[in-house]
Amino acid sequence: MIMNKKYLVGVFDDEHTLVDAFEKALAKGVVIEEVYTPYPIHEILHGMKNKTNITTAAFLYGLFAVAMLIGGMYWAAVVDWPLLFGGKPFNTFPSFIVVTIVGTILTITILTLLTFSVRSKIYPGKTAVIIDIRATDDKFIIVLDQDKMGIKKPEVTQLFQTHGATEIYEQDANTN
Amino acid sequence: MYKTDVRGRLIDGDKSLSQISQEILAPIDAKTPRWWYVAMGISLLMLAWGARSIYITLTQGIGAWGENSTVAWGYEIINFVWWIGIGHAGTAFSIFLLILRQKWRTAINRAAEAMTVVAVFCAALFPLMHMGRSWLFFFIFPYPNTRGPLWVNFNSPLFWDFMAISAYLLISASFWYFGMVPDFATIRDTTKSKVKKAVYGFFAFGWTGSSREWLRYEGLAFVLGGIAAVLVVSVHSIVSTDFAVSIEPGWHTTLFPPYFVVGAIFSGFAMVLTLVTLMKKLYNMGDFITENHVDAVCRILVFISLIMGTAYVTEIFIAWYSGSEYEMYTFFKNRITGDYAIQFWGMFIFNALLPQLFWSKKIRRNLWIVFIISLFINLGMWFERFNIVVTSLSKNYLPSAWAPYHPSLVEIGFFVGTLGMFGAGVLLFFRYIPQIAIAEVKMISKYNKQQSDHLKPGHHDYE
Repeated sequence: MIMNKKYLVGVFDDEHTLVDAFEKALAKGVVIEEVYTPYPIHEILHGMKNKTNITTAAFLYGLFAVAMLIGGMYWAAVVDWPLLFGGKPFNTFPSFIVVTIVGTILTITILTLLTFSVRSKIYPGKTAVIIDIRATDDKFIIVLDQDKMGIKKPEVTQLFQTHGATEIYEQDANTN
Repeated sequence: MYKTDVRGRLIDGDKSLSQISQEILAPIDAKTPRWWYVAMGISLLMLAWGARSIYITLTQGIGAWGENSTVAWGYEIINFVWWIGIGHAGTAFSIFLLILRQKWRTAINRAAEAMTVVAVFCAALFPLMHMGRSWLFFFIFPYPNTRGPLWVNFNSPLFWDFMAISAYLLISASFWYFGMVPDFATIRDTTKSKVKKAVYGFFAFGWTGSSREWLRYEGLAFVLGGIAAVLVVSVHSIVSTDFAVSIEPGWHTTLFPPYFVVGAIFSGFAMVLTLVTLMKKLYNMGDFITENHVDAVCRILVFISLIMGTAYVTEIFIAWYSGSEYEMYTFFKNRITGDYAIQFWGMFIFNALLPQLFWSKKIRRNLWIVFIISLFINLGMWFERFNIVVTSLSKNYLPSAWAPYHPSLVEIGFFVGTLGMFGAGVLLFFRYIPQIAIAEVKMISKYNKQQSDHLKPGHHDYE
């Protein structure tokens, strides 16, 4: 478990030096555990090679919602309780479209938020596992797992130093 | 790529990232200013009057209002549409300006979204009370019930409206909230107060700023932003169909959906302008909300104001061109002239003519004039809704049914109460929530630096 992990932490002052060091480290085959930044940086998101299917999930939720809404309205208006409005057909499909659009948007929102919460493990009251408390303010942090960083420690330290790290330190995973 | 030398700086002063956090969070850390308590007191008094009016409405029924069988939709629908219109700015700012890659929106979108959530809450109260037996409001939910089951009418714009407003409220609130999660984490990690650390830590949802979180966060923003873009157009189109599908003269026009959507964005942007001028002056946010920001909103208002003017003139022209005597009567005898001419001309002058002053750069740069014009636009948009609702209803096809409309004190109190609720909500926002999206402003702060040594060619343009 993460309790026994020992981290090597590189601290950078700005986005440019961080991206530079990050790309050089990847080129050298360094295995990067995680990068913490005050705002999203696309080079990092691409470089970390994590994938998210949240957009695909949202699309599928949308298809599900459309089917349920049109099906539900048809069932209510035609099967369950048909009402005669001056000889108009029970199935007034085109006018179902408005509710379908709005209901679909609502369903996608709720389900995608839930998916985000579950997959990112972001929920009310969760205690944050913080490596370096300055990462939400003004520092850019690269964290390596010392047991499997794919390169020797002095080499990483030198690499970080030559590419603008302002601090390099070691930390146990279970201390904040 | 944002070109600072062409478009001007997005943030004034060379600020480090931690300075950005500190300056935006300053109102949360500082002692509450005295004016805040005064303003809050006034808002709560107004809210108390509103609560009393609601109590009277609930106990006596809507007979306590000034409506009659001819003008059955009075203050309630006017104020409902007015608040919903104001509530349009949040998504318009977040989504439209996001799609148009307007990076200056980052300083303003948080305030616009906060205002949206409060305004939509205010709006929702009006139809709720207008139902008469408000405690049975859940009858409007389409669920299998023991009343038949009697289903709602899926063909009715009133039901569409309920769906649209509920979805809009939920989506704008969640869009707003998830935008704040990284900022709450910043408060949690920078504050020295233990109470703040615990409270904001709770609301920060355990955010750390890891690449995994940011990746999904961006995905979520993409999905919510993409689908909420539809809502900017759909919500007010649906509100307009409440009117347009009827056969009342002055309402029964195909112009209504675009006219309402544009009007909503117009009033929303005007209210945003009111708020950001206050933020600039009261909270020294001038480095983030620069003159260029105010200037940009003013220029958008000039453009929308021209569309509004065109819509007003088109309505009048079509009333004449249609040859329908009822349309002619409504527009020429009951709007331009007649009992409600003041409201018509108030609308026309404040919405179509007054904003034309923004053509002048001198006026756009004068914060006082901008603030006053923004208030007049809000007033003008209220007149517009009064004009649409009351003039068409008060004198329709049967002269023996004609009746004037005067709001009762209960109705006025109800409206004042929502104004108080809005004021209190905005004041709480100013005091306890980062007024500007910190993470987003940090992201654009790099455009202020020398670009040659900061962004290498071939790198992605962010956002």
